[in-house]
Amino acid sequence: MVAQLFANGLATGSLYALSALGFGLIYNTTRVFHIAYGAVYTIAAYLLFALLSRYGIPLGIAFLIALILTILLGILIDIYIYQPLLCQGSSFLIVMISSLSIYIITVNIIVLIFGNEIKVLRSGIAKTFTLGQVILSDIQILQIAALAFIFFTLVFFLKWTNLGKIIRAMRDNPDLLSLMGIDLQKIRWLVFGLGSLLAGLAAMLQALDVGIDPHIGMSAVLTAAVAVIIGGVGIFEAPAFGGLLLGVLQSMVIWKASGRWQEAITFALLIFFLLFKPEGIFGQRRRLEEK
Amino acid sequence: MSYILHLLILLSIYSVLSLSLNLLVGYTGLFSLAHAAFYGIGAYITTLLMVKASWGFFPALVVAILGAILLSLIVAIPSLRLRGDYFVLATLGFQTIIFYILYNWVGLTNGPYGIPGIPRPKFLGFEINSIFAYSVFSIFLSGICLLLLWRICMSPFGRTLKAIRDDEIAASALGKNIYRFKALAFALSGAFASVSGALFASYMRYIDPTSFTLMETVFILSAVLIGGAGNIKGPIIGTMFVILLPEVLRFLQIPDTIAPNVRQILYGLLILILMRLRPQGLGGEYKLQ
Repeated sequence: MVAQLFANGLATGSLYALSALGFGLIYNTTRVFHIAYGAVYTIAAYLLFALLSRYGIPLGIAFLIALILTILLGILIDIYIYQPLLCQGSSFLIVMISSLSIYIITVNIIVLIFGNEIKVLRSGIAKTFTLGQVILSDIQILQIAALAFIFFTLVFFLKWTNLGKIIRAMRDNPDLLSLMGIDLQKIRWLVFGLGSLLAGLAAMLQALDVGIDPHIGMSAVLTAAVAVIIGGVGIFEAPAFGGLLLGVLQSMVIWKASGRWQEAITFALLIFFLLFKPEGIFGQRRRLEEK
Repeated sequence: MSYILHLLILLSIYSVLSLSLNLLVGYTGLFSLAHAAFYGIGAYITTLLMVKASWGFFPALVVAILGAILLSLIVAIPSLRLRGDYFVLATLGFQTIIFYILYNWVGLTNGPYGIPGIPRPKFLGFEINSIFAYSVFSIFLSGICLLLLWRICMSPFGRTLKAIRDDEIAASALGKNIYRFKALAFALSGAFASVSGALFASYMRYIDPTSFTLMETVFILSAVLIGGAGNIKGPIIGTMFVILLPEVLRFLQIPDTIAPNVRQILYGLLILILMRLRPQGLGGEYKLQ
């Protein structure tokens, strides 16, 4: 029972970790608190749903089309919403509120088009695999595998490629980077594109696993933000551990109390970390003046 | 006629909510996302004392205010150590946790089923039963709150809050205890929100936790942002706007099934445009820093 709950937590945690890696990538480099990330997440899931059920496109192709559109959407949000605000020198709060507005507008448009009810993308019983005491469905295994693949690719990309180095440099000092003759604009597109790709991936895996409703984006983006803070702001790999920790903890809550406290535990953990370890699990304690 | 009275009651409840949030967002520069939690605590404490302990409205209200002050200090004392987006996230965390406590503590709050049969308040020995009497009562009580809020905003205390908002270091160099002023602003804001909650509960005669979610906070916040923060008239304009817009939509013959969504899209678009072109809102004076 405990092992099963742990495994389930690991599978959901992988989804959290995927979307948290994307959110963290955007947050650490651009410092935009991207609540519209939730909008991107919801749209990705509904794109897949529409392509599958309304146009009857095979899963693999629908997945690719939805992913490409999601990436474009993320970049467009940066170009048309965040860039003009930053050019005016708007404060982070104004950027955050605008992002929230985008989220609210998107969710309501989706409700108007698709309705408020839960949509299930796969009917029938999922294939399951038994590993010792633990039973996992095929999609749960895919979730864990996807996280493992993405995590190592991302680490490799950030550590060993030139673009990865530029992204890390942008986190440390964007002004200096543009002095080196690097077009920050293009790097932002890359970051928003990559982040949205991860959001789309997580959203579509969630859609195939448990189904979707128009409001999944908000809890996805909030969980991602919490995972980023728990892992440690400024460290690109850390959100994955934050996400896994949240997934496992939420699953263990079912064992000790009840499933109704799952969301509350996320925020209880957030407040605990903000108060006692604001630099996160992997972060270095910094002095106030350095922030 | 009773419909117009209903709108007046809603306007009076929400203008206290938006002005009390404005005390934090507009005057002190603290972007708190926990306002619906204080509103909800006010509603629940009043309701529980009236229904389960059959207290009168006014004693219950006093306890509700004290409870909300206590809760706002519980939220404020840790959150105020944080700044920027961490502060916003911490208040959001408290909002969510308080919602889940109201939702999951079925033994006390009856959880998702809500509490029905909340009695109407008695005032000077006679029960406020008709909607007309209730609207007078609600406007009277909200009027007192608005007057107090106005006095607070105009007082040296209010000016100190503004000074803290604009330049914290300068204010502390002049000997103001920043932390204490901010905590006080939180407590006052929570206290007024709880009065709104008590009014809401005894007006609706039924409450359940879904009236006090994060989306409710966002709704109150949109009134402040559309109207504009940092003075008295901004949030009032915003409240009128967000309460009366649905009625305008009704005239435009938008079907009831999609009206709430159309309304939220309009709020979202308006805030988006305002943040770009006029971050101080329609009538405010503080451009969110």
